[in-house]
Amino acid sequence: MKEIKVEFTLNGEKIALQSEPNRTLLDVLRQDLGLTGAKDACGGEGECGACTVIINGRPVNSCLVFIGQVEGQQVTTIEGITPQEGYHPIQKAFVEAGAVQCGYCTPGAVLATKALLDHHPRPSDQQIRAGLSGNLCRCTGYNKMLDAVHLVVKGEQND
Amino acid sequence: MQEFDYLRPRNVAELKENLSQPGARILAGGTDIIPQLRRGKSAPKILVDTSGIRSLRFIEDQGDRVVIGAMTTHQEIAESQLVSDLNPALRIAAESVGSTQTRCRGTLGGNIANASPAADTLPPLLVYEASVLIQNLSGEREVPLESLVIGPGQTALEEGEFIHSISFRPLTGRWGSHFIKVGKRKGMAISVVNAAATVVLDKKGSVSKARVALGAVGPVVIRCRETESSLCGKVPDRKVFEKAGEQAREEVRPITDIRSTEEYRLHAAGVIVARVLEAAAEQARGRMG
Ligand SMILES: Cc1cc2nc3c(=O)[nH]c(=O)nc-3n(C[C@H](O)[C@H](O)[C@H](O)COP(=O)(O)OP(=O)(O)OC[C@H]3O[C@@H](n4cnc5c(N)ncnc54)[C@H](O)[C@@H]3O)c2cc1C
Ligand code: FES
Ligand code: FES
Repeated sequence: MKEIKVEFTLNGEKIALQSEPNRTLLDVLRQDLGLTGAKDACGGEGECGACTVIINGRPVNSCLVFIGQVEGQQVTTIEGITPQEGYHPIQKAFVEAGAVQCGYCTPGAVLATKALLDHHPRPSDQQIRAGLSGNLCRCTGYNKMLDAVHLVVKGEQND
Repeated sequence: MQEFDYLRPRNVAELKENLSQPGARILAGGTDIIPQLRRGKSAPKILVDTSGIRSLRFIEDQGDRVVIGAMTTHQEIAESQLVSDLNPALRIAAESVGSTQTRCRGTLGGNIANASPAADTLPPLLVYEASVLIQNLSGEREVPLESLVIGPGQTALEEGEFIHSISFRPLTGRWGSHFIKVGKRKGMAISVVNAAATVVLDKKGSVSKARVALGAVGPVVIRCRETESSLCGKVPDRKVFEKAGEQAREEVRPITDIRSTEEYRLHAAGVIVARVLEAAAEQARGRMG
């Protein structure tokens, strides 16, 4: 198996790396780049959404993307939207609404929410439910995530 | 994870070259093939990644046909006004595939080539009698979609061949089309049964043409031709469609598997055939001739 060279934009910065081609974007983020926000909760079946990242503005399961496939793409992880100081408004709203408990699903759910709101700034409940249907959570019961998205839309989260 | 060599063609000409090597296989959105590679269910020597080929990603109205490139994602189809206007059944089906994350990667070509009996875009394409443009290094051929998918996970594609695009003719006159799927839950569910239908009405309001396709009730998605012809000339009402649902049950051979039982599938198939026909007829009635 020949190694491949991949160049892409990660959280706004151009990077180049070498990898075996049978590794996923999730493997590389976590093992090579130390970005452990994206997580694996279903063994890479595309079922849980804990590994969600944003590629070219769209939410994607990074466990179902081979590393070669991000060549030339724009990849955003949870680390990329979290400010140096404090938190992103979506992160604050999740905390405010009690939509974070163990936190394992949170990076993925926050990024799915970001991608949703970037496309639909004023989503209906139906659109929120559809937008988050790929993010499983063992703790919150989902309604709190719905509340969190409403908080972001209303801009009501505490600063 | 299975080992393989990886190639990333930049255009269709390079794809043809790459795919002509023995043991080469396409990697499109990866949503089917990556889990298969992880489980060791598939062992290609070379993976040819088509995700960088822009020219295979389009939805075009070419006058008498709508053409969709193989690399077009379910999300793009679900958001397309053209598809919504000309094949509403396909839009609904694309929107029902997995989660947003799945739809943003998974492609139409991959859905067809993976040949799952439960593939959601197949029924809406079959009722529009879609055809598939297949290419390889030495040329191209166009085949009806119905003859391409030949068994669970099996297609009539030969080594070196790939799906370039899928096309169908829009319906004319007073027409309607619809898709319904039954899964274990509302979101993120593989179909236990799915169905698509088209209905065309004549000036007097009777059925001049009907097409019905059912998925997950046999080894491949099938057209229910006896049900279709039994509808011809009928004035559409609920009774007629319920009868059609009963007829459709005669045409399918569902099995029991992890997702459902034979009995449930048979029952649900009849119910959704009646409903999908009724919705298509309703749409047709609302359309001026
Ligand atoms: C969580 C989850 C939920 C899902 N839910 C649904 C659902 O609700 N409904 C549904 O129908 N499917 C569902 N799927 C299955 C999958 O997403 C679809 O079948 C998708 O369309 C596959 O496309 P892909 O581009 O990802 O294919 P890939 O995985 O890249 O490829 C699939 C197969 O097709 C071949 N192939 C791909 N493109 C071509 C081409 N152009 N020419 C020739 N061969 C080609 C590949 O070699 C491979 O064998 C789901 C998958 C996941 C992971
Ligand atoms: S790890 Fe579960 S969807 Fe990627
Ligand atoms: S907060 Fe625990 S899984 Fe969602």
